[in-house]
Amino acid sequence: MKRIHINEQYCIGCRLCEIYCQVKHSKSKKIIKAFKEEASDMMSRVLVEEIGSNSFAIQCRHCIDAPCADACISGAMTRNDNTGVVNCDEEKCVGCWSCIMVCPYGVIKRDVKARRAASKCDLCIDEEVPVCVANCPNEALKFCEDKNE
Amino acid sequence: MSENVINPKEIKSGYLIIGNSTAGLAAAASIRKIDGQGSITILTNESHSNYSKPLITYYLAGMLGLDKVFFKDSSFYRKNNIRLVCNANVYDVDPAKHEVTADTGKNEPSVFSYYKLLIANGGRPAIPSIKVTELSGKMSELSELMTASKDIKSVKKPGIKKINGVFTLTTLDDAISVKKYIADNKISSASILGGGLIGLKAAEAFLELGIKINIIEFSPRILSASFDESASDIITGKIQDSGSNVLTNSTIENIFVDDSLNISGYQLRSGKKVPCTLLVIAVGVSPATSMLGRGKDILKIDSGITVNEYMQTSEPDIYAAGDIVNSFDKLSLKSKNIAIWPLAVKQGSIAGTNMAGGRQKYGGGFFMNSVEILGVPVISIGLSSAQDNEAENIKTYKNYNSQKNIYRKIVVKDNKVVGAILAGSIERAGIYAGLISNEVDITDIKDNIAKEDFGIIQLPAGYRKHLVVGDGIEV
Repeated sequence: MKRIHINEQYCIGCRLCEIYCQVKHSKSKKIIKAFKEEASDMMSRVLVEEIGSNSFAIQCRHCIDAPCADACISGAMTRNDNTGVVNCDEEKCVGCWSCIMVCPYGVIKRDVKARRAASKCDLCIDEEVPVCVANCPNEALKFCEDKNE
Repeated sequence: MSENVINPKEIKSGYLIIGNSTAGLAAAASIRKIDGQGSITILTNESHSNYSKPLITYYLAGMLGLDKVFFKDSSFYRKNNIRLVCNANVYDVDPAKHEVTADTGKNEPSVFSYYKLLIANGGRPAIPSIKVTELSGKMSELSELMTASKDIKSVKKPGIKKINGVFTLTTLDDAISVKKYIADNKISSASILGGGLIGLKAAEAFLELGIKINIIEFSPRILSASFDESASDIITGKIQDSGSNVLTNSTIENIFVDDSLNISGYQLRSGKKVPCTLLVIAVGVSPATSMLGRGKDILKIDSGITVNEYMQTSEPDIYAAGDIVNSFDKLSLKSKNIAIWPLAVKQGSIAGTNMAGGRQKYGGGFFMNSVEILGVPVISIGLSSAQDNEAENIKTYKNYNSQKNIYRKIVVKDNKVVGAILAGSIERAGIYAGLISNEVDITDIKDNIAKEDFGIIQLPAGYRKHLVVGDGIEV
């Protein structure tokens, strides 16, 4: 499957990935409207970590042996065997936060803004390239086949 | 689903699984991955085809409908060609004959034979010894009047009356009964005996329904087994602020009932009498081994069923997984009963693989849990209670923001994380679980370990690379 690869050395911490991720997952999908009117409901599913000049963006790794799916008590978090995408069905999620407790990357968020549900990267399944990758100016994020699979 | 199939006196079955919760279903799924042909039969003593036990309090709270408590969709059994037998009360496991006997509500007991058996029927709630006093002065024992809902046989026994308004809360039927009782009796306050995780899950549901609660806890504080004093205090404060009560160092000595066995109140150890119309007993859950019958004397049992690293019991053709087993605890390096969902899934899946002829080892696990009370999420991982922290070579790193009610404590032993508590803000808690699992040396990052913004970027470069290589990061 195609995965998002992180290249720490090219990341400048501009956080455009976070901005485009929020817009993509907003109601209106329009950048100005989203940030002016929906800001209180928005949450980025990609996370930029930064210390000094060192930074990188990290989002769900879509693990093959996904601990979040094992820990999920409601059947909301599942890995699609065909696409390889680990997805949270926010309708089914009850907000028990077991997934947050077990994700070793810390990339699942507790969303109590729009609804009480776990929020994570869905790999922008309806896009050819995830928006965080498409809008990274430096190719610090790349979307490509994993050679190991 | 297929109750009508169990007619013949003896039913031949390749794989037999006792228990239809997450461990049993994970096992069935991994058996099917290897063996597409062998028959799989699952026995459950419940009437529901499948539901998630941790969801019952969400149903009780009105957050989920009955149609949403299922964690596998109904096609799971059909797709995997699994036969499910509901209302099957197993009361004997005979390892010599490879037979399991159950009461299935028919005149004659049903006998199920197996090639490989998985015991995954979880735990059952403990009923403490409490006197029950009727108006007439007649006294009896609570455990005699309260039959856990699983014990269908004894409920049917004539002459045994059931106490009204006193419940355990570990099955969907329990939750349905409590919900109906609340509606029928317009309950506005409830008492919970036991301030552990099950008690707190019940509290969470009642508070969501606007029902005021009294929590009665034997220890000096609630959640004493899995949280430290600061985390307990945050939760206690939140409950008290909502107008409810937390009573510690206390217990119920006597329950008062009217002539129809309806609860009217109880007496605390201090002698104080409290009126009460709804009482939930949540003092603990223990492995449900009593249904093993003859198997109980044959299988090696030490509180839970003892298993090896292949999830195999002392009998080679019998495996066990989930809340009923004592399994390897990575932190104490001992065999322990760690009754939590993620481990049940892992153990069930490994047991299934090995039952079908695969060879997979269970690497062990450790305790962890997550609760949210009145909007305050709390996660506890590994060694985190006060007793744990008195052990040798333990160092704790704390961070408490009283303004925001955010607390974080990381427990370190020999330069490795062995426990964590996060209250108020639980973001990225799993990073600590990962550090524990992978036994990462944190000598160089100690100063940052309990900070609110602690993240992957602080981790040692070597571990960061290990974490990310393979599943796709290059750092």
